[in-house]
Amino acid sequence: MPPKPSIRKEEWERRLHDVQVTKSDLNRLVMDYLVIEGYKSAAEEFSQEANLSPPVDFESIESRMDIREALQRGDVEDAITRVNDLNPEILDTNPALYFKLQQQKLIEFIRQGRIPEAIQFAQDELAPRGEESPEFLSELERTMALLAFDSTPNAPPAIAELLSPAQRMKTAGEVNAAILESLSQGKEVKLVGLLKLLCWGETLLEEKMDFPKLNVLEGTFGETGKL
Amino acid sequence: MATEATPAEAECPPQPSTSPSQLRRTSMASVRGPQKPIVPQHVVRTTPAAFPRPAYLDHSALRHLLQIEGPAPPILSRRADPSASMTSARNQAYANALSFSSDNDDTRSASSSPIPTPLPRVDQILKLPTRWSEQDRNPGLSVSPDGRELIFNGPSCSAEKEAASARTVYPIPRACGIFYYEVEILGKDQKAHISIGFASKSGNFVRLPGWDANSWGYYGDDGCALSPERSGFQYGQPFGRCGIDFSTYKAFYTKNGILIGPVFDNVGKNGDLFPSVGIQHTGESIRANFGQDPFKYDIDDHVRQQRDVTWNKILSTSLNRSVLHGRYRRTGVGSIASITNDTGVQQSLTEEESKQVLNQLVMTYLVHHGYAKTAHAFGRQCEGRDKGPLKEASNTSGHDPDVEMKASSCTSESVEVDIQSRTNVVNSVLAGDLDSAIGTLQKSYPTVLEADDHMLLFKLRCRKFIELFLETTEMKKKMKEMKEREAAKSKAPEVPSQDAWMDEEMSMDIDEEPSVPVPHRRPSIAPSPMDHTKELDGEELESPDTISAQYESALNAALAYGQTLTNDHQSDNRPEVQQLFKQTFGIVAFEDPLNPSCPVVDVASHDSRVALAHDVNQAILKSQGRPAQPALETLYRHTATAITQLGLSGVGAAAFADMSREFLQP
Repeated sequence: MPPKPSIRKEEWERRLHDVQVTKSDLNRLVMDYLVIEGYKSAAEEFSQEANLSPPVDFESIESRMDIREALQRGDVEDAITRVNDLNPEILDTNPALYFKLQQQKLIEFIRQGRIPEAIQFAQDELAPRGEESPEFLSELERTMALLAFDSTPNAPPAIAELLSPAQRMKTAGEVNAAILESLSQGKEVKLVGLLKLLCWGETLLEEKMDFPKLNVLEGTFGETGKL
Repeated sequence: MATEATPAEAECPPQPSTSPSQLRRTSMASVRGPQKPIVPQHVVRTTPAAFPRPAYLDHSALRHLLQIEGPAPPILSRRADPSASMTSARNQAYANALSFSSDNDDTRSASSSPIPTPLPRVDQILKLPTRWSEQDRNPGLSVSPDGRELIFNGPSCSAEKEAASARTVYPIPRACGIFYYEVEILGKDQKAHISIGFASKSGNFVRLPGWDANSWGYYGDDGCALSPERSGFQYGQPFGRCGIDFSTYKAFYTKNGILIGPVFDNVGKNGDLFPSVGIQHTGESIRANFGQDPFKYDIDDHVRQQRDVTWNKILSTSLNRSVLHGRYRRTGVGSIASITNDTGVQQSLTEEESKQVLNQLVMTYLVHHGYAKTAHAFGRQCEGRDKGPLKEASNTSGHDPDVEMKASSCTSESVEVDIQSRTNVVNSVLAGDLDSAIGTLQKSYPTVLEADDHMLLFKLRCRKFIELFLETTEMKKKMKEMKEREAAKSKAPEVPSQDAWMDEEMSMDIDEEPSVPVPHRRPSIAPSPMDHTKELDGEELESPDTISAQYESALNAALAYGQTLTNDHQSDNRPEVQQLFKQTFGIVAFEDPLNPSCPVVDVASHDSRVALAHDVNQAILKSQGRPAQPALETLYRHTATAITQLGLSGVGAAAFADMSREFLQP
């Protein structure tokens, strides 16, 4: 194997300079992030300061965020009401999403120790859905397994994670994406795509050559090939 | 001769290699008679069929590098001996002929060199296969003048594998992502023995593509696909429309506008790959379409779909901790870096960690460009969320607390004050108010003025001189107008307006570059040194005499300032200082330095204020140990560079990571 070609930091930086991207391009990427992630007041300020026309109605950001917050504090009922206020079709046309919200509600009952209510809710609302699809059934079983352990630390991680805040975030994220989709707006944050592309590209390019690696947060480079 | 001509075949001339219509083009550069079946190569090359790049290639992120025909390098044209007997037109034709063939040779020798491949240059042009090669072919085959047809004149091959084969002049750039071409079999009056596919450099042109190592073909006879690994398996209906997908390194064939499916593995993974055709029987001929004509198959749609598949694959990549941190850098505590020092930690970022990375990128971006209010609102919102259940999340799920990078920490009071004063300095420069810019710098960032032996201070003072002088030229303009007005008044009693002067001022205001944000659009953003002249203007009291006196005193003030500047800095022998001196004082020689046609307009114009404001912003950030461009911008530039490099290094999938399309288009 011939040694990998290598590119020096100076040459790399010269190439960076030639990349076609403007400040307003980057401003739009930032706006995309603020809007999709629901930073409403920041998005409003930014549209003023950077003189960018807002890509959406800022009020819709607000209601999306209210729904997200409701889910994050565990108030699933409130979230469902708000989603229906915003657009009833979102849940009507998306049974999987509705199931996830119901599942989250069940999890919240269990978290609060309201076990009889949890069981009643599972039997009334979730069991019929579990009959509809094997995927729903398996999720329902996983959730009910929470009742088999007297305390969360004893449960296997795959089950205990249902009680983690990450589970709430996951549900909140899925609802957020569904709403964005119903507003026919991009649901994937472009900056996330950029980071993913970086990971994909750097990993592959590393097999081909030595090049300066970027420290993303600091915006600085290491020397080529320096270990 | 085509006996069963399909509509497509009927379009082709029956005897392509001797078609008068095609030779007519060559005769311009050649005196050879039309009877010659094989035209000398340099003559052939004078008739490259120019055609636009096929639309499907626009889906490649590296499309700007893909070219149908490169312009002949001028240095090669000079090799042609400019004989006196030649007319200049013929000379040019001769030069073109020479340069085309030299061009081809250069390409060949470069790509065949066994020396360790040098780094691909970023600006290199990747030429697309558009014609069969005159050199790289079996001698029994002749190539039509337009380079698209091959006819087999030699004796028929008896052995199964034997054939006369040819390939294109240029290999297929992998940066295409997907390359596609179609072949029509002409003169199919007998069972054709033709194989169509791809071959590497090392072909010897005596066998069908698919029989040699590193060649892949689809046998037009019985629908057998041929490859070195799997010799002759049934693939489908015979025909010759094939593509190569470098994102999967698989070939594919189509029939009647329908994809037959991917075939062969690792096609073109190593080394150059050329479209290639092999013919076995005398008289058989083919015609290729490399994009000169519309394709029978909807390749555009095919490529679009493949691009989306590849892009979705890329988006399913998980965020890798060590990549994001730059693999070789292990810096201090308090950042993600500290995690990489731990052994056996998970390599993927959790959703929450990636959110923190993004928040920090966004926050530093806002701070860098002085979007103070946005930064403030963003910081508050991040903080608000941190206090919610999210905060709990990160603590209970057992992550390293060092990962916590609260964006809110960026918006402490001092940071806001800093943004504010930095923005003030930048705005002062933009408004031409250098005194206040220098004043704020002295107060808040004294090191910035001192750095680099007072370079920035010098630049700011030079600009101040320019502003002072511009003030005088405006006055002078006004005086001239007044005189004209006086003259007009004496002729006709109407009152002319001063719109011309006002318009100029207004346009300077509008010109303001968005790259330097102005959070508070204060009225003083208009060239402030002229404010007092404006006031006087409103009073309508001034006489030519008063304004002339004002002009003189302003001019004296400007020159006095210039002399101070000279005294203070003339001992500085640095070339850039001397150069700036010259440029600065040079404007004095011009009556209207802001006139777009004025040679010194670059020095005087508002754009140079913008550039200076940018310098000042960078210098302040640099003095605070911050990068000269926001990390977010570096991230974008670095990723784009890496992806381009990846595409040039032969990873075909990179062609479908079209950043400007995915990230920049609204």
